Amino acid sequence: MTLIAHGIGVVRDLPIPAVYFFVGAAVVLGVSFVLLFYLWRRPLLEAHADGRALPRALTSVVLSRAVRILLGALSAGLLVLTLATALFGTTVELLNFAPTFVYVIFWLGIPLLSILFGNVWSVLSPWRAIADAAVWLLELGGREARPVLEWSGRMGRYPAALALFAFVALELAHPRPAYPRTLGIAVALYTYWALAGMAVYGRDPWTRFGEGFAVAFSLLARIAPFAVRNGSIVVRWPFTGLAGAERTPGTLLFVAVFLGSTSFDGFSRTSTWQDLLADLRAELAGSSQRTIDLATTFLNVGGMAFFVAAILATYLAAVAAAEKLGRVGRSLVPDFVLPLVPIAAAYLMAHYFTLFLIQGQFIITLISDPFGKGWDLFGTIDFAPNLAIVSPETTWYVQVAALVVGHVAGLAIAHDRAVAVFEGRRHALEAQLPMLGLMVLYTLGGMWLLTRG
Amino acid sequence: MSTRRRLAGLLAVLALFVSGLALASCGGGESESASSMTETTTTSETTTTTETTPPPPPGPTEIRIVVVNGAPKGGIVREKVEKNDRVVLVVRSDVTDHIHLHGYDIMRDVAPGKPARLPFKATIPGRFEVELEDRGVQIADITVQP
Repeated sequence: MTLIAHGIGVVRDLPIPAVYFFVGAAVVLGVSFVLLFYLWRRPLLEAHADGRALPRALTSVVLSRAVRILLGALSAGLLVLTLATALFGTTVELLNFAPTFVYVIFWLGIPLLSILFGNVWSVLSPWRAIADAAVWLLELGGREARPVLEWSGRMGRYPAALALFAFVALELAHPRPAYPRTLGIAVALYTYWALAGMAVYGRDPWTRFGEGFAVAFSLLARIAPFAVRNGSIVVRWPFTGLAGAERTPGTLLFVAVFLGSTSFDGFSRTSTWQDLLADLRAELAGSSQRTIDLATTFLNVGGMAFFVAAILATYLAAVAAAEKLGRVGRSLVPDFVLPLVPIAAAYLMAHYFTLFLIQGQFIITLISDPFGKGWDLFGTIDFAPNLAIVSPETTWYVQVAALVVGHVAGLAIAHDRAVAVFEGRRHALEAQLPMLGLMVLYTLGGMWLLTRG
Repeated sequence: MSTRRRLAGLLAVLALFVSGLALASCGGGESESASSMTETTTTSETTTTTETTPPPPPGPTEIRIVVVNGAPKGGIVREKVEKNDRVVLVVRSDVTDHIHLHGYDIMRDVAPGKPARLPFKATIPGRFEVELEDRGVQIADITVQP
């Protein structure tokens, strides 16, 4: 249905008016400079990352085997339903369960849950649940389930970055990302990627470094006020889980794909990009549909890769400047990756919150008739989604507020890292300026994209 | 000063600025309550409107789109209408296809010599694509201002 952009959706946001942009930008700049001088002089976030343990009883229920098995079975069932509806249900995108479930409920809902409640994907992942069940069955049969290869750690998070890029390329670059059969093949391929990886390298290493969604959700979960430490649930200050350096190779690329793809999604909805695509189509008017689709995909992937590269280049330039000003004599590339996570979360919120609220309502009717065959399993088929559930003013306010909050959080985390890295140095304050500039650039860039019509 | 109090102070500063932003942006949009509450129109209501409805004075806004070779003539047509305006999309095409207005979910056949008319009342604010459904080609972009 939708020509390009964000996989699926019926209403697009109105561009934010200039006044919201200027107020937002003023707040960002003002807060940044006030905070830079007001903030702490010694690192303190890491000290709070451990949090306080919640009552034992609560932990033992939430982390119990029964809950794990129940959620795992439910999730594996939903994966099967998604595959079945995508491959055998109606080919009308909006009448098939799979597109709305994958692009809206899963890809926007799980990040939200992760930010609020921590790493829920560890119990919600259908692939993990299937792998756990397979290992349990093997061990029941008296055999030892051992990975084929040892995970060396050299590949870092590059496999996960590749998996995420493949998914966002389908979502944002493919001419018909929500076409059920295409989506069905993609879900099947990804299931193979996740299960084969776990079989070869073991469940834990692949979940942490290879399964793109698990890596994305676990990074977002570090924002959450809840975490699991030593087998018990702890409550902590939000964002404290993002303190410290992140030395796993590939994390920077992963975060850049995350940020770059979301910002490309924003840009690809502007008239600039849509006119470019329309021109391309007009140019190829005589050619076959396949040629036109291929050219569109090529242009979109190129645009997305450009945004990812731009994020990488600006980050590396800012780090290089900080190294020079702070005279640290070592690479600071791993030290400022995690501050980008709140910004990625803010981009996600700003770009997709109305899509989630509006398109998400359609799942209520779709669950009654997942294959689009005229069923009414749960009696919800007549539910009428309210397409005007959020006013444009509310949307603009939420978008700007999300970016400002993400910016301030990223800034505070970067500052916390900077005072640890530059401790006792003469130029500690100056050395923070490049990172501050980078954050301001990302935040204002994200906001500017939202003003484009 | 304890680290906890510093963190609390930081959160207080944050809350202050966010609420300042809230105040500033509320000043920019007084029509908030009007637009958020009134509209719950469903798509099925809109589709039942027939093209024979006599246009009451002042007549509906007519948006004309011409499709040549399966692409919009002169590029994607961009039009802005005000909320609650009555609008008619008129599409002339030299190819056979379906014209789909997203969001309002109205679909009409189009063929050479048989233009499609899509009348609707602009009750939902936002941006909506008009597509040649079978080809998956966007031909217009209708903005409904709040």
